[in-house]
Amino acid sequence: MQTRFVSVAAGLSATALLLTACGSGEGDGGPVTLEFQSLSDQPAAIEATESIVAAWNEANPDTQVEIVPAGWDGIYDKLITQFNGGAAPDIIHYEAAGVVPFAVDGYLADLSDHMSEAARGDIPPGVLDSVTVDGRVIAYPTEMQSYVVFANRGMLEDAGVDVPTGETMAWEDLREIALAATTPDAHGLGWGLSSPTAVFMAMAPAFGGSYFEGSGPDAALAIGEGEMALPELVDAMAHEDRSILPVTLTQSGTEALPSFYAGDVAMTVQGSFQAANIAADAPEDLDWVVLPPLEGPAGPWQAANPQTLSVNIDSEHVEESAAFIEFFTSTDNLAALNEADSLIPATTSAREVMGSSLEGENGWDAVLASGEYLESSPYLFVDAYAQWKDTVATPAYQRFLAQEIDADGLAAELENGWEEITR
Amino acid sequence: MRSLVRPAQYAALAFYVLFLGFPLLWLISASVKSSGELNSLTVSLLPQEWHWENYAQALARQGLVRSAWNSVFVALVSTALVVLIALPASYVLARLKGRVRTAGVGWILVSQVFPVILVILPLFLVLRTIGLTDSLVGLTLVHTTYTLPFALWMLQGYVSGIPVDLEEAGAMDGADRLTVLRLIILPLLAPGVVATAMFSFVSSWNEFFFALVLLQSPENYTLPITLKMFIGGEGKVALGPLAAGSVLAAIPSIVFFSIMQKKLTGGLMAGAVKG
Repeated sequence: MQTRFVSVAAGLSATALLLTACGSGEGDGGPVTLEFQSLSDQPAAIEATESIVAAWNEANPDTQVEIVPAGWDGIYDKLITQFNGGAAPDIIHYEAAGVVPFAVDGYLADLSDHMSEAARGDIPPGVLDSVTVDGRVIAYPTEMQSYVVFANRGMLEDAGVDVPTGETMAWEDLREIALAATTPDAHGLGWGLSSPTAVFMAMAPAFGGSYFEGSGPDAALAIGEGEMALPELVDAMAHEDRSILPVTLTQSGTEALPSFYAGDVAMTVQGSFQAANIAADAPEDLDWVVLPPLEGPAGPWQAANPQTLSVNIDSEHVEESAAFIEFFTSTDNLAALNEADSLIPATTSAREVMGSSLEGENGWDAVLASGEYLESSPYLFVDAYAQWKDTVATPAYQRFLAQEIDADGLAAELENGWEEITR
Repeated sequence: MRSLVRPAQYAALAFYVLFLGFPLLWLISASVKSSGELNSLTVSLLPQEWHWENYAQALARQGLVRSAWNSVFVALVSTALVVLIALPASYVLARLKGRVRTAGVGWILVSQVFPVILVILPLFLVLRTIGLTDSLVGLTLVHTTYTLPFALWMLQGYVSGIPVDLEEAGAMDGADRLTVLRLIILPLLAPGVVATAMFSFVSSWNEFFFALVLLQSPENYTLPITLKMFIGGEGKVALGPLAAGSVLAAIPSIVFFSIMQKKLTGGLMAGAVKG
């Protein structure tokens, strides 16, 4: 898109004097009003958010919270403009990968002293690390997702496979089950990998992969066995075993679901939130189940990128904003919000409450169990990660999955591309 | 052989119309399908069951009607302003000779090379200073100035296409310049004005980024912002309600075009001046 800066400025100058009277006024010492820019998008989650805010407003007449709904699309550009223009809301809803750069640039308040010991102790250390920058807690984590395997029980049983039920399941077991479930009419696995970097980055910790060492502008990329293990496993399953439906490798996770519904694949790897969509959209006769969390040589770990609530450092009411967030993330509120959004609570107590209330419905026991293995990942704290992901890693992974380059070529492209953009 | 030409032309036209209209048909079809059917491998233009509740959800959920009114206001006012400013300015640009014209044309071209991401911050600061962020008036002004250079460029091409001889003939018959403009130039320029108005309307109607950054309050959101909110984080999309909302959002635009396209006539000047 092209713009017309000079004309915009000229036009505005010409009309500025006529329109200055249209500005808004300041408050007059009444109750404090906090702006809460919320990205909640699902009707149930919007309702849950409104309910929590209404409860706060009723209990705190002197500190009222006003929800300002916004969408996820373009939110980074909106926030960066708001911060630079001095118009950012008091309370900011976003995700860890998005707020860390804002914290590094000094736009977010340090919440370390505002976070209660109870709240701090309720957040798993690995998740708390994902919102800690230079020793400062810059956000409260609220909702998370993990990658889990959804399986068609009938197809697995027809293939003579015992549906795994343990606490975790090895990646090699997934490979064997996928191969066993592959028939002339169906594939064992469908995996939407049109945006492979996020998936590989999130699941690399199970193989000991961390990709980056250091943080900020000094971070270094290292591609070793741990980083290459999962791409190579997918490649082997797709092209040696032929147990992955090829078209799904070019689709998004959501686009791969119809193949699962139609019985073209026996299993599919998806974000855990898809449990709600599958429950709503799958054919009634589809008997599906969520398999245990996937475990690699280093454990069942995945990288966490939780949704977060932060406070604008320029807010005149940092303390009140932090108090509201503390209320918002209390156990029952967080459980209700995550249940509405089909996500995993970032606190242990909310996860337990949610587990009790859902009682394993729609595979939630396995989904919530996977939340125990989420930990921070170095990529959250790397300045050039977003650029590397979009311009280097994603095209390289796509070429690798299309067999245009081999594993050595992939590693070389990832490393050379990193060197080029950080030179 | 000649008898086959006309049917072939109609067949080609019908195919072209179908080609252009198919996405709209598909959108309408998606707007009445269930989420399950939209996520099924069975593809059909006709829904298995008609789910009109998508429209109810679209209307109830995101303040779609209010956003439609906001979009209509911003698009119509900015279109009117663009035409009002571009009409005399384009005449001057087309008829004037010398450095002023060169400078004017250069100004227009230079103003188009800046990417929007470069403009948005200073623009936000200017608007904030004068109290026009989170304001439909502010957004209207931005859309006007954003569209104006291209509209000027477009309209001056139409003016240039009107022979100066026509103006001179009017003058010889005793008409002053204003009369010439009103009775000769303006009627001949009508198709150009309509095309410019349509361009301005569509530019404003579809504009997303300025609206995203400048508008804060949901009551001020325009349609592109509201429709984008049907697409959530983590890849969640309420496809049925989104399609229903998009169908509803297209109606004002279709009405505007159906009114304006009747004025898009050409060839008025054929034979006006002897070659």
